[in-house]
Amino acid sequence: MFITSPSSFRPLTRLSALRSRRWYSANTVEAPPASGHLTSVASSQLLRLTRETALRTPGLTWTDESDSDPVRSMVGGRETRKMNVYQAVRDALSIALAKDDTAVVFGEDVAFGGVFRCTMGLAEEFGRERVFNTPLTEQGIAGFGIGIASMGHTAIAEIQFADYIFPAFDQIVNEAAKYRYRAGGQFSIGGLTIRTPTMAVGHGGLYHSQSPEGFFVGASGLKIVIPRSPIQCKGLLLASVRDPNPVLFMEPKILYRSAGNSLPVEQVPIDDFALPLSRAEILIPGSDLTLLSWGTPIYHCEAAINILRSPPSALEPLIPASIRSAKIELIDLRTILPWDVETVVESVRKTRRLVVVHEAGYTGGVGGEVAAEVQKRAFLRLEAPVKRVTGWE
Amino acid sequence: MHLYTTAKFRALQLSPQMFTLLRAPLRLPSRARPLTTVAQELARGVLPASNSPVCSTLQFFNSVTQGSGQIPTYRVLDGVGIPIEGAEIPDITPEFARRLYENMQLLPAMDSILYNVQRQGKISFYHGEEATIIGSAAALANDDEVLGQYREMGVLLWRGFGINAAMAQCFGNYEDKSGKGRQMPMHFGSPEHHFHTISSPLATQIPQAAGVGFALKRDPARRNKNVACVFFGEGAASEGDFHAGMLLASTIPTPTIFLARNNGFAISTPAHEQYHGDGIAARGPGYGVDTVRVDGNDVLAVFNAVKEARRRCLEGSRAVLVEAMTYRVGHHSTSDDSFAYRGRQEVENWKKIDNPTTRFRLFMESRGWWNEKEEEELKVKLRNDVVTTLKRAETLKQGDLRDLFTDVYGGEEPWNLREQREELARLVKKYGEVWEPWQKELKRFKDEGKKLVD
Ligand SMILES: Cc1ncc(C[n+]2csc(CCOP(=O)(O)OP(=O)(O)O)c2C)c(N)n1
Ligand SMILES: [Mg+2]
Repeated sequence: MFITSPSSFRPLTRLSALRSRRWYSANTVEAPPASGHLTSVASSQLLRLTRETALRTPGLTWTDESDSDPVRSMVGGRETRKMNVYQAVRDALSIALAKDDTAVVFGEDVAFGGVFRCTMGLAEEFGRERVFNTPLTEQGIAGFGIGIASMGHTAIAEIQFADYIFPAFDQIVNEAAKYRYRAGGQFSIGGLTIRTPTMAVGHGGLYHSQSPEGFFVGASGLKIVIPRSPIQCKGLLLASVRDPNPVLFMEPKILYRSAGNSLPVEQVPIDDFALPLSRAEILIPGSDLTLLSWGTPIYHCEAAINILRSPPSALEPLIPASIRSAKIELIDLRTILPWDVETVVESVRKTRRLVVVHEAGYTGGVGGEVAAEVQKRAFLRLEAPVKRVTGWE
Repeated sequence: MHLYTTAKFRALQLSPQMFTLLRAPLRLPSRARPLTTVAQELARGVLPASNSPVCSTLQFFNSVTQGSGQIPTYRVLDGVGIPIEGAEIPDITPEFARRLYENMQLLPAMDSILYNVQRQGKISFYHGEEATIIGSAAALANDDEVLGQYREMGVLLWRGFGINAAMAQCFGNYEDKSGKGRQMPMHFGSPEHHFHTISSPLATQIPQAAGVGFALKRDPARRNKNVACVFFGEGAASEGDFHAGMLLASTIPTPTIFLARNNGFAISTPAHEQYHGDGIAARGPGYGVDTVRVDGNDVLAVFNAVKEARRRCLEGSRAVLVEAMTYRVGHHSTSDDSFAYRGRQEVENWKKIDNPTTRFRLFMESRGWWNEKEEEELKVKLRNDVVTTLKRAETLKQGDLRDLFTDVYGGEEPWNLREQREELARLVKKYGEVWEPWQKELKRFKDEGKKLVD
């Protein structure tokens, strides 16, 4: 099959890969101003602002040009570049397209760069045959992607907003998730990745703010990934594209760009790399309480930890001094399905308390699923019921 | 066997007006044009941007045939198998014709025997649609990608899937490779036969077919060589996915044949309650897609139409819509009694007046390609074949119980599935040895539940 013999296709040249990376320095893309922003993200300690720290991102594995090359795990010789989340998405897509001739990127308004600029310049670089607009049909986009992937190709579809993914619900839940199982393993659509901007921006109102990951957690066969930062976004997206399963990749849209230049920017390795799916990451170690979240609220959690430790004077009377020294363990779940129960439960066994924070509403939210599993596995260790801090319904 | 390298066919030409009923007049320019061009166009009587001609008569329209009534139906043989005037008989050999006929006869043979083993659950029937299925299967290349609804087993049989494999799927025994016993009967699939696994939700395969066509077009080994062909009922065509699929295949041009089987019913709902317009064919031009309506009970007409559809599809790398008009003679499925919503006589009349198999048999007899004796022999042979395979399929055990949990994810098995599998293993161990109903149930599986943990 031609997929394994790329020579019949346009061969990958080092040049095209380099060109895609030079794109940032060649055109300095000014992010259009966004009005909503998270003040705390700018100063987040969770971001990797230097090359040195970026290259030491936990769990990072390099995906080098040739499979026969020895895995170069050393950091020397690796470059990084400052990127925000939408640039990291764009960088990952560019690598995916450059290295895999079967890969295509499509969705509403994708050709001109996408409403969040995540596909900027890709149509020019890889051609309109590989980066193209679709008509306004979410069920069609998902179905089309399933068809492409069923032929062993790599399909990277964009649903313009997670709020508008529901017309594609049937295709994702009944088709994509079950494609392999129902075919007795004879067919699969592992090459399908559906990217979609999710969560609130502050000015999106009812229909540009939802966090619908919970609707999909019953779709066994599907993976759901939500990154928190530029490095995470690039590594998890590349891992999702290459994972042998369909992945719903939900990008917290408030993190795409900064107001001014203050939202999450990291030094992102420019080489091809992956971060592991279904592995949570402990961001801040602690021993008194586990705080579990994903996407945007990770930064709210960080801010809350800081406020608890040294409350502003107005809040001081409301926060008893006795709890200020509590050591909070902050965990980013990253993959929502199948989620990393081991890391979470191990943490709770140690801290004996769990708070789950998500933007989606309380009832039917993923927090309920996590709480049930944790109380089952750490019942005797728990000092308090699992608490859920969520969006209001 | 590859149809086009072995059989001696000559290119068939349908009359052009049969095919291109109407092309969408709207063609958007690729970029904004200068004002002078806009002014010139207005003077010529054409709307800027859309190229729509300007007119002074207030005129509504509701037909794609420009006032000439209903879309015509393309036909080669009349109701008694005599070629109609002006029709082009495809240049087929007697051997090929026999193969068509034998495959057409195989479908009702399987129907009637499976009907008597209802305990196997819902089985859908083919009776009445033999010509549509076999005629199109024969017109496609055997390695064209097919996405079906559930009445297209004939395509697989034509391609050599075998009644044994079909039976295995219907019984969900351990020989069922289509779905390892996970799906209801008739949900076949076989990568080897380029037949994508059927799924129960209606119409989902339609936009997927556009994607499959797209992948074929991108693959250097299959570009200009293969098409995707998607089958669906007139009922399924009411789903949004039909619209999505047609739209995608037309705006992102791909070699995809959309084959609507209009058999008059969606379970009990008659076609006239499914749409108010002129069937499914009337929609094709709305998407700017070449369209034809064909007599789905005339195997030669279906063959000609699908062959030409395929040629157009490959030539322009564009979608084509074929609406095959048939009549569902059988009940919808074994759990349906269609006489609750239609007269017994109506069905009997259809069987007599317009029986696709009889029509083709009469044609073959008129050519001296078939006779009474061969007919009898074929019927006996098919019956025996089907009964023998069925008896065998019935006795085979179901696959491994372990397979309840496999193929959900590719790669690493997630903890939840592993734990659920282990839970079942514990239960099997605890109750399976002592509790009779479980003992009996476990015997039905090939691994008797023993492979659950390894
Ligand atoms: C989305 C969806 N809705 C309803 C059904 C139940 N159902 C199964 S077959 C059928 C009728 C389909 O009719 P048609 O598309 O005309 O195909 P035919 O059975 O006539 O070949 C219905 C309603 C289903 N399988 N999927
Ligand atoms: Mg029907």
